[in-house]
Amino acid sequence: MDGVSFHVDRGETVGIVGESGSGKSVTAMSILRLVAEPGRIASGRILFGDEGKQKDVVQMTDDEIREFRGNDVAMIFQDPMTSMNPVLKVGFQIKEAMAAHERFTPKQARDRVVPMLKRVRIPAPEDRAKNYPHQFSGGMRQRAMIAMGLSNEPHLLIADEPTTALDVTVQAQIIELLRDLNRDLGTAVILITHNLAVVASLCTRVIVMYAGRIVEEGPTRQIFKSPQHPYTWSLLRSIPRLDEYQHEKLLTISGLPPDLTNPPPGCKFHPRCRFRVDRCLEEEPPLGEVDPGQKARCWVLMRNALAAQPQQAGQP
Amino acid sequence: MTRGTFAYVGQRFVLIALTALVVSSIVFIGVHQLPGNAFLSERQSSPQREAELLHHYGLDKPLPQQYLAWVGGVLHGDLGESLVNRGVRITPLLLRELRVSATLGLFALLFTVVLGMGLGILAATKQNTWIDYAASFGGTVGYSMPNFVTATLLILLTVTGFYAWSGGAFYEDIGWGKPEQVIVPAIALGLYPMAIISRLTRASMLEVIRQDYVRTAWAKGLRPRLVVIRHSLRNALIPVVTILGPITTSVITGSVVIEYIFGIPGLGKEFVNSIFNRDYNIVIGVFTFYAILVGLANLAVDLVYPLLDPRIRY
Repeated sequence: MDGVSFHVDRGETVGIVGESGSGKSVTAMSILRLVAEPGRIASGRILFGDEGKQKDVVQMTDDEIREFRGNDVAMIFQDPMTSMNPVLKVGFQIKEAMAAHERFTPKQARDRVVPMLKRVRIPAPEDRAKNYPHQFSGGMRQRAMIAMGLSNEPHLLIADEPTTALDVTVQAQIIELLRDLNRDLGTAVILITHNLAVVASLCTRVIVMYAGRIVEEGPTRQIFKSPQHPYTWSLLRSIPRLDEYQHEKLLTISGLPPDLTNPPPGCKFHPRCRFRVDRCLEEEPPLGEVDPGQKARCWVLMRNALAAQPQQAGQP
Repeated sequence: MTRGTFAYVGQRFVLIALTALVVSSIVFIGVHQLPGNAFLSERQSSPQREAELLHHYGLDKPLPQQYLAWVGGVLHGDLGESLVNRGVRITPLLLRELRVSATLGLFALLFTVVLGMGLGILAATKQNTWIDYAASFGGTVGYSMPNFVTATLLILLTVTGFYAWSGGAFYEDIGWGKPEQVIVPAIALGLYPMAIISRLTRASMLEVIRQDYVRTAWAKGLRPRLVVIRHSLRNALIPVVTILGPITTSVITGSVVIEYIFGIPGLGKEFVNSIFNRDYNIVIGVFTFYAILVGLANLAVDLVYPLLDPRIRY
């Protein structure tokens, strides 16, 4: 992870996309300082709060970070099957999240469990609160995780691949739920995923990561319409779409992500890039603004590449 | 507790009874195959007296008949009479000795569980620090020292060592009967199982604290104490409870070595003496009692599982 810098505004939904090993989850974990050993935060700042009175997560004491976790920023994880403690009742685990912080009194915490489960659309919430996680389906567990995450009314919810382990219909329900909760509660959401469709349907802004770096970021609509980094462009061309490019072949990105302990020189994407120029092999490009609100880390940029060699784009 | 639980427990009791029957008959046959009998001294002086005694105790009858007579006695709670200390009924004798061994054993068990689990948890939460290394080193030492070595070293330390160090004012008085005499043998008895428990707890905890739900617990902002005790320990206890069954049985039934070294009149000592003396009824009685106790301890362990993990049901 190197030089990753981004911001999330109040109430905003931001997607972080990238393939496995690109550093998306580590980025998310470091916001709560949950990076597993032997990983560590060597340097940098993670600021949270209003302009002028921001707190730096990296500098927090153990008590401060404990109070911060789950209270200011909550997190839900990829696999709802293993993310809840199998030996404790679901309702208890939600209540416990509130009991860990001072926002609610013990009685309020107890009384909020059932409404929270109802809010995430779990049927018969009174009975379900008394169930153990193994009595829940995968989708219901993820809903319960969301209820747990939102129980303290955090400003930010980090969802680390919340739909990856679920089947497609349930995925859609979870995404819809996240969108409604974001709208109703004003909780900002960072959605980490490798699923571009999920990003398109939920996020207003998207950050694309590759090899521990941000390679492109900007408003979702703009990125999907005119990606400027070849990696983003290739990602978008590698999924089938019903609305456009109907007669195109799907594109694959050849090769594998680089070994981060021994990264290639220059642009980290150049070994797999079909638009590379000599400069890409030697010098890493900066993350520069390419359009208002859109930044890309590329010497070439797709608009120039496509203008120069349209046949390479795979268009008919 | 559901109907299923009662049915399950009922089945297990039947199995334990069958086990006791099989064990007692095997031991019965085995012990009668040993050369000699309890009346060796009589045999030298007067073979006729030996024959009288054999007849008196029914030992001249065929083995199946003797076994049935023994089972009949057991059903009335009577394990028979000692062949060596004639006239002594075995049932009260064993119960008295069991009380001694169990008292010592429960103290040893307390030491085992509290210190073993404590060290295991500490080592796991402070993995790869000097605390972990020290606990692991201590565990390995406890694990590899035979209990007669441990017992001898403890006697050296607490009996002669404390005596010399305090100028005779303070020392361990070896024997049995005073409350303070329990502590040192309990430590000697508990050190080995303590080492097992601590190593097992550490390994089990290390596995659990890497689970996703423990990460969730941290992400909720729970206090470290709650993450360790509520979210890790309970889940890590299952393998520990499993081994606790056999450990409990072996510890509360007394250790021959510890009882000899510390001069404690317990069941373990009686057991070995009875084999040497060919005191058939005691040998069979103690063996059968052990078999039942192992069965009960394992049943108790199985009944604890559902309390720890709601996914386990009977």
